[in-house]
Amino acid sequence: MKSLFLKTILTATLSLAALTSVALAGTVRVTVAEYSAKTGPYFAEAEKAFEAANPGVDIQIEVVPWDVLLQKLTTDIGAGSNADLSIIGTRWLIDFVKQDVAEPLDGFITPEFKDRFIDTFLSPSVMDGKTYGLPIAASARAMYYNKELFEKAGITEPPKTWDELKAAAEKISALGGGVYGYGLQGKEIETDVYYYYAMWSQGVEILDKDGKSGLGSDGAIAAAKIYKELIDKKLTQPGVTSFSREDVQNLFKQGKIGMMVTAPFLSNQIKEEAPNLKYGVAAIPAGPSGARGTYGVTDSIIMFKNSQNKEEAWKFLDYLFTTDMRAKFTQGEGFLPVNKEEAKMDYYVNNADLKAFTDLLPSARFAPVIPGWEEVAQKTSDALQKIYLGDVEPDAALKATAEEINGILQK
Amino acid sequence: MTSRQTAIPYLLILPSLVLAAAIIFWPVGSLIEIATNDVNRFGQLKGWNDFANFSALFANADFIQALWRTGLWTVLVVGGALLVSVPVALILNEDFYGRDIARVILMLPWAVSLTMTAVVWRWALNGESGMLNSALMGLGIISENVQWLASGDLAFAMQVLIGILVTVPFTTTIFLGGLSSIPQDLYEASALEGASRLQQFRHITLPLLKPFINIALVLNTIYVFNSFPIIWVTTQGGPANSTDILVTHLYKLGFRIGKLGEASAVSLIMLAILLIFTIIYVRLAMKEREA
Repeated sequence: MKSLFLKTILTATLSLAALTSVALAGTVRVTVAEYSAKTGPYFAEAEKAFEAANPGVDIQIEVVPWDVLLQKLTTDIGAGSNADLSIIGTRWLIDFVKQDVAEPLDGFITPEFKDRFIDTFLSPSVMDGKTYGLPIAASARAMYYNKELFEKAGITEPPKTWDELKAAAEKISALGGGVYGYGLQGKEIETDVYYYYAMWSQGVEILDKDGKSGLGSDGAIAAAKIYKELIDKKLTQPGVTSFSREDVQNLFKQGKIGMMVTAPFLSNQIKEEAPNLKYGVAAIPAGPSGARGTYGVTDSIIMFKNSQNKEEAWKFLDYLFTTDMRAKFTQGEGFLPVNKEEAKMDYYVNNADLKAFTDLLPSARFAPVIPGWEEVAQKTSDALQKIYLGDVEPDAALKATAEEINGILQK
Repeated sequence: MTSRQTAIPYLLILPSLVLAAAIIFWPVGSLIEIATNDVNRFGQLKGWNDFANFSALFANADFIQALWRTGLWTVLVVGGALLVSVPVALILNEDFYGRDIARVILMLPWAVSLTMTAVVWRWALNGESGMLNSALMGLGIISENVQWLASGDLAFAMQVLIGILVTVPFTTTIFLGGLSSIPQDLYEASALEGASRLQQFRHITLPLLKPFINIALVLNTIYVFNSFPIIWVTTQGGPANSTDILVTHLYKLGFRIGKLGEASAVSLIMLAILLIFTIIYVRLAMKEREA
């Protein structure tokens, strides 16, 4: 009896050991961010197809919500239990590179592979001449406007400058009935970015040529005053500091807002949730000098230095970045194409919404590649919230924040 | 023989002591290590840094404000929950038609995850499409939408109310247990002597409920002091950090900005505050009982 028990345990342990050793031979663990409900199924399908074509390789996908991705990576890396590949926000890449956890991919990248990408989107993942990540998702921002409200207010064309935007917002807000001209984001992630649209149009950059914060400059203050005036004249939704990007998008979907700036994925959401909404997409308004700027964002997929199966991991990356796989992902999630061949597909060429975004790409700014960027963004958002609430004057608040940011940058 | 006898109690508590050490002392030990070192954003230690993490914290106005606000938050939520729970428990202790249903309804918020409750409140408090505004509007109480979460003061007040709401079920449960342990003959005897309901409450119910109030106070203080979801989900400590308490401040420091050293220092300070509070309070409560 006893020996039977022992035997069972022994065989169980042995077979378990055998199993794990087989699994280790070609296991590639991939941490992916959940962009939408379509992300998980997409990667599950990619895993299946890839494993069928590459016997012996076991792909393990971990889908993580965006909000906790950085936290998960931080703890995983700290404990040494990170995956082989992971999607990260490209703005975090500098930390990963500085701490020497990201593997440069140049050894794997062939000229043919490199040629698949639109250069604007690959370049943010290049640091010190080395490519550390591949752009898995790319996005930019443009201005959505509600055609029905425009018609009712007697506006024929989307505004081209901030002055025109103010005039249009006045007409739309005058319609009454809980309808507001300009949707202004004042809470949570990208509160600072929503302000940069106005700041870039004044010809001010986040960091000037000397690497100092641009927030204290006259243009930056003028931009804050544009927004403050919109708030004070009730041309935005009330209580802007309680509206995150999603909250403003919801108002837009409900037809309560005339204009807002956001990413291409809103088109997909409108298609599913508010198919009757008549809207258009236009360029972000320009400033007096004609300057304008949109926010370009890429997320990168990186390989970790401590990966045991780099060859297999690279093979999987190579597969993910084939034209068909890319097209399926990009169209499902509502991103911009990063792949040249993909961008030529009818889906993109004949899509007026997406064209507005791609037209803005030449004026796209990416988050500056500096350590401490998250802290800079946080400080900027804090200052903006105080300005929007009317607790402080734009002038003094932005100058003080610029000082603080310069202090952070010097470290 | 005697030496063996003295060893037995220690042997008996040894397993739980080992377990406690593994799950309490070890993490606290590594927290101390991280808090006193220069740490990169992935938690890798870069060497001792003369308590720079702590001095950075005390030089930070946001931290000091979060510290005070945590005190206010704890006092208001725990105090409010105790004040509401005593009458609720008294009512639920009476025998009335439908009492069981009333008890279940009261306990329900406890069964729902705190994060989900907070998410629902975030929707309800939305300024333009929130349920609370449309309900108040429908009742004719307000004529214009209130922006509940736009400014720090109002948002914090709402968070305290939500905090009280979710703390009441647990507190009431403790009090109900306490009330059922009070012998009924005390009330009968005092009624014969002509005591009014109020006198019964003051001289019988309240004194005998005291140990339970003490337990509720200590446990709730620990829970509420550390409570993250309500504030994080509704405002993320904003606008401009004006609703931050220590845990949300810690989270931002650690996982947004990547200052794990300072974040660990915050959690040590929180641990110290709770420890001191608990020791003082337990001492006071014990002394009272002896007297």
